[in-house]
Amino acid sequence: MRKLIEFVLHKKHWLVFLLLEILSLFLVYQDNAYQKSVFLSSANAVAGRILSVSASVNSYFKLWDENKLLQEQNRLLQKQLLALRRQVGISDSVDFQGFMTDSIMPYFPYEFITAGVISNSVTRLSNYITIDKGREDGISPDMGVVSSNGIVGVVSLVSDNMSVVIPMLNPKLKLSCRVSRNTYFGTLVWEGKDETEAVLTELPKHAEFSIGDTIVTSGYSSIFPEGVCVGYIAGYEKSQEEAFYSLRVKLATDFSALNNVLVIKNYNQEEQLKIEEEAIGNDK
Amino acid sequence: MINNLIRGIASFIILVLLQVWVLNNIYLFRIASPLLYVYFILKLPLGISRCYIIFFSFLIGLVIDMFSNTPGMHAAACTFIGFLREPVLRFCVNRDLESLSTPSYSLFGLGGFFRYALILIAVHHILLYVLEAATFVSPLLLTVRVIVGIALTLFLVCTVELFEHKR
Repeated sequence: MRKLIEFVLHKKHWLVFLLLEILSLFLVYQDNAYQKSVFLSSANAVAGRILSVSASVNSYFKLWDENKLLQEQNRLLQKQLLALRRQVGISDSVDFQGFMTDSIMPYFPYEFITAGVISNSVTRLSNYITIDKGREDGISPDMGVVSSNGIVGVVSLVSDNMSVVIPMLNPKLKLSCRVSRNTYFGTLVWEGKDETEAVLTELPKHAEFSIGDTIVTSGYSSIFPEGVCVGYIAGYEKSQEEAFYSLRVKLATDFSALNNVLVIKNYNQEEQLKIEEEAIGNDK
Repeated sequence: MINNLIRGIASFIILVLLQVWVLNNIYLFRIASPLLYVYFILKLPLGISRCYIIFFSFLIGLVIDMFSNTPGMHAAACTFIGFLREPVLRFCVNRDLESLSTPSYSLFGLGGFFRYALILIAVHHILLYVLEAATFVSPLLLTVRVIVGIALTLFLVCTVELFEHKR
C-alpha cells in the first residue's frame, strides 16, 4: 500500500497532466455555441475591457477609411433619396417639407443598433468577432449583424456589455441566400480557405445567373431582412451527380478591416419563430 | 525566489497582453498569427516541479483561449507541451542543469536553445491546428498553416531571446 502511494506521488505530474488535458479537451468538444459559458469567452467583462483597449487604439488608425466609407454611403443615400422623391412625384416642389409617408409605407419591423468591433479574427477555421454592445444595449442572441457593405454574421453569446458574433467566416453559420435578380435560393457556407470567399450550395440546376451577379439574403429566416447584400458571384462548379450548382461568392464585407457594425433587431422575430414552431408541432 | 515569482507574473501579463493586443491582429500571408505567448512556457525556470509547470502552461493557454474564443484549444496544446518540457530539455541538453536558472542561449548554447524551442513550438502548433481543424479536412491547407505558424513563432521567440541575451 505504501509503495503504491509512493508510486502515485512520484508520478503525480502524470495525474495533473491527464486531468488538465481532459478538462481542456472537454472544453473543446463542448462544441455547441449556445452552451458555451460566457465566462470562458471574450464576452466576459475582464476580457472585454482589455480587448476594447486595443480596439480603441486601432479605431483611430481606421478613421480615415471609415470617413471615406461614410462619404460614399452618404452619396448613395442622397442619390436614392432623390430618386425616391422623384418617384413619389414631389421633386419639383422642393420646399414642400410636409410630405408624410407613414400611411402608405408598409410597416418596417427592423431596428439597427450600432456597435464597435473590439476583437476579430480571420485566419482561424472558426472565427469569432466580439462587439462592444450587450444585453444592456438591447442585444440578444440570434440577431443579425451587418456592416455598411453587407452581411457580417449572427450574434451568439451576450453578456451585459459585450457580445460575441459568429461571422460568415465560421462553418457554424449557414445562411439562406438568393440570386438578386431572381428568386432561386441556396445555402451560403464558408469552407475555411479564403476570408474573402464563401460558397453558395444547393442552388437548383435550372437557376439562371451569371458571373458578377449580386447575392442577397433570402429573408426566409427571421434574422436578416430580405435583400441585404451578401456578395457577388465569382465562379461556379457543377457536379455531375448532384442536381445543384455550387457558386463561389466574393463576400461584400471585408472581414479583415471590420471596424463598425450594425446589429439588426427584428421586432417580429419572436412571433415568426413561435408560429413556425407551432406549424412544425401541428405537423407531427 | 521572490524575484523569480515577480518576474514570472510580470512576463505572464506582458506576454498575454502582447498576444491579445498586438499579435492576434497580425495575419501574416493571411494564414497564420504568431503565438509568442509560448515563450512563457519555454522560459519557466528549471527545477520547478513538473506539476507546477503543467499547471502554469494550462493557465496561460486558458487565458489566451478566453480572449480568442477558442475554449480549451490553446489550453490543451499548452498543457501538452508543459508536460513534454522536461523530456525535451533532457534530450536537448545533455549535462546537468543548475536549478532555478532559466533556459536561455547562454545556458544551452544557440543550437541547444533553438532545438528546444523548435520541438516544443512545433508540437504546440501541430496540436492546436489539428484541434481547430477537427471539423474540416483539408490536409494541404492545414500543413501550410502549421508550417507558417511554427516559422513565425520560432522567429519571434528567437528574436526576443536574443534581446534577453544581450541584456
